[in-house]
Amino acid sequence: MLNTMGDPFGGSSFSGLKVVELSSDIAGDFTGKLLAQLGCEVVKVELPEGSPVRKIGPFAVGHDDIDHSLTYWFYNADKKSVVVNYEQEAGRSTLDALVAKADVLVITMQPSELAARNIDLEVLSANHAQLIILAVTPFGLTGPWAEYHTSDLVGLAAGGMLFSSGYDDHSIPPIRPGGNQGYVVPANFALIGALLALIEREHTGRGQIVDVSMHESLAVSPELANPFWFYPKVLVQRQTCRHAQPVPTAPALFQTADGRYLYFALVLADTKPWNSLVEWLDSKGLAADLTEPEYQQLAHRQEQFHHIQGIIEVFFMLNDMETLYREGQARGLPVGPINMVEDLFDDEHLVARRYFQQLEHEDAPAGQYPTFPIRFSNIETPAERPAPNLGANTDAVIGEWLA
Amino acid sequence: MPSASPHTTPDPEILAARKPKQRRGPLAGIRVADFCWMGVGSVATRLLADFGAEVIKIEDRTRVDMPRRLPIYKDGGLRSYGEEDSNPDPNKGGLFNNYCRNKLGVTINMRTEKGRELADRLIAKSSVVTENFAPGVMERWGLTYEHLNEISPEIIYGRMSGYGHSGPHSEYRSYGPVVQAVCGLSAISGLPGREPSGWGLSYMDNIAAYFNSAALLAAIYERMKTGKGTEVDVAAVEVGVSLVGPLLLDVSVNNHLTRRPDFPTGNRLEDQPAAPHGVYACTGDDRWVAIAVFDDGEWQGFCEALGNPAWVADERFASQAARFANQDALDAHVEEWTKQRDPHEVMTLLQFHGVRAGAVQNSQDLVEDDPQLDDRGTFFELDHPVIGEALFEGVPIKFSESGPDNWRSAPLVAEDNDYVFKDVLGMEDDEFSQLLEEGII
Repeated sequence: MLNTMGDPFGGSSFSGLKVVELSSDIAGDFTGKLLAQLGCEVVKVELPEGSPVRKIGPFAVGHDDIDHSLTYWFYNADKKSVVVNYEQEAGRSTLDALVAKADVLVITMQPSELAARNIDLEVLSANHAQLIILAVTPFGLTGPWAEYHTSDLVGLAAGGMLFSSGYDDHSIPPIRPGGNQGYVVPANFALIGALLALIEREHTGRGQIVDVSMHESLAVSPELANPFWFYPKVLVQRQTCRHAQPVPTAPALFQTADGRYLYFALVLADTKPWNSLVEWLDSKGLAADLTEPEYQQLAHRQEQFHHIQGIIEVFFMLNDMETLYREGQARGLPVGPINMVEDLFDDEHLVARRYFQQLEHEDAPAGQYPTFPIRFSNIETPAERPAPNLGANTDAVIGEWLA
Repeated sequence: MPSASPHTTPDPEILAARKPKQRRGPLAGIRVADFCWMGVGSVATRLLADFGAEVIKIEDRTRVDMPRRLPIYKDGGLRSYGEEDSNPDPNKGGLFNNYCRNKLGVTINMRTEKGRELADRLIAKSSVVTENFAPGVMERWGLTYEHLNEISPEIIYGRMSGYGHSGPHSEYRSYGPVVQAVCGLSAISGLPGREPSGWGLSYMDNIAAYFNSAALLAAIYERMKTGKGTEVDVAAVEVGVSLVGPLLLDVSVNNHLTRRPDFPTGNRLEDQPAAPHGVYACTGDDRWVAIAVFDDGEWQGFCEALGNPAWVADERFASQAARFANQDALDAHVEEWTKQRDPHEVMTLLQFHGVRAGAVQNSQDLVEDDPQLDDRGTFFELDHPVIGEALFEGVPIKFSESGPDNWRSAPLVAEDNDYVFKDVLGMEDDEFSQLLEEGII
């Protein structure tokens, strides 16, 4: 089941859907991109100076202008860019006309920004019964923090995920997990909200306002930390590159012979993985005394925990990552390399699944783009397309939509 | 560790009040035969159950779902989630309650011929099937897409796995931390010159679940429009790679490799001259506040909030570029100020002055002390016959026309066998008793 890369897009129910995106942050941008990857026609409406995301680096080598932000490229691939100066009267009526044609409006303005631009979502919704208004904002459209300001770091902090992430050494502050995930999580919920509203519209014929809060999206996503508070009322403590837990656990990062890090959580409780591990060590003559019968007893293994951890450290240190990943997995042990970004493009599994798609750029080297990670046997999704230059599709979209 | 206590037998009157009823919401009328277990699958199908789908979770009595066995109990005390209970009360597990609210629960022993026949009967009455086993398990039970589509035409088959159902690593074992390692998300998180700090949670369990929920909704929408079903293959590793972000282009377009001594950059940004931009100590044990200043306007607000102390006039802090270049000195001043204050006090004061700031909130803060979550009703309560009242993480979306239908906490083991096998499948009492006796259900 592979994406139809390189083949012309045959269309789906989504390719008939029109989306207008008014976004000034990565949450809104990524929401639009996910809808575009699903097949919707996504028109990003930008002011003449361009989206603020166009000013975020890094930039393509040799450039530093608004058409070469790699951050913009990444989160705005697959869309069309239309410039409309909606702060002036003529532009505003163009925007209104585009919205009138849309199935979904993605909008990231907080309540005061909406008011300043004289946009009333309830009136808009009342005037366009079929329209789904997807408001993706830092804290939601209502509540005492609705006007608070955020960023990726601030969002992750207030939402709870940051508290769980960092190092064993608590003199080091919690460390931000990378990749703008503070904005990614609300974009995921925005996609879910849009799809639920589309399904509901099939039943009722009506759109609605879908109010997605970044803060809430993050606050329901710290995994075990919340249930540990809901039930035993204990807080988790952050631990280096592994689960934050109420109590300290053993390190799970090991260095390999080729200077890389491998993730492996030693679990003593189950006999089957324990025996797989010992057989593996023994196959290379590195099991030391772990083959002795007393290690079949859990209590003994627990007693000897540090000794065992030491033997495993040596074993990993004497073997290279490729061998450890392949052999460990063949023995049913969940080991994984800490891959650096540059390791991903040649990963044999991702290559075999044709996961990355190379896109050419006009005046910069080609890029490797991740494709849509949802694969349907029976719904076509479009190939990746590079992000548009500012206003690249203004005339074409206005011509087609408002003809 | 507390010793195993006798398992609770719930009051029949309470159970009678929990019988399945007509659901409401955009997915009402959709029945899901749900083979999911553990985290990813359970969170993915929970969303469908929240919005009205009749999600029937299928378990095996002799090996119930792992979250039923993990010691996240109200009286669980300080234990890590890996410390499995030796004789767990399968109806007491908080994590299972958290993952399986709004679902029905049945038991089928899939390792028997009769069990597999029964599953086929259930699938014939369903229009969606979901699973997140290791590749091959469903095939061993004969549950290929072709077979499902025969017994329930135009069915949607959601398949959620670590590596996907094709490719040389499709059989590899994974769970959240391994997915995060392999997809590149762990390596991009940490301080320079030392091991990555990565993630203190199975982030990818939740996020892969969210993508799987979206995938199932998209398939349902497409089927409403065209009448066509589909098989869905979502690999958590590929979801993870798609979230690594612009660094994928910085490496592939610019050849700016990340194996270098100044990467990753901890809480500082590499590509935007934000300063201060960090996490600063406050009063209290392990309490912190995050502050992010991106431009001169925000810096002015920051200085006002602090009462314009003398040090802000230092020429090293005269412009955004200068502040970015002198972050060590700047951060020392900032922390000197924050460490005399409570994180929420700093957040409120800075936000009042238009500065992006957030207390590093823990789960107690989120549940007990966050006026925004309280106002939005993010967490809600449901009663459970064994656990009692418990809190749940709500859907973080407000719909003007509808919303989640939170009708019941998670099912007890086999709680809905009667309703599903007799009412939905029309099974006679005799057969039901026989299957029960033979250990099939």
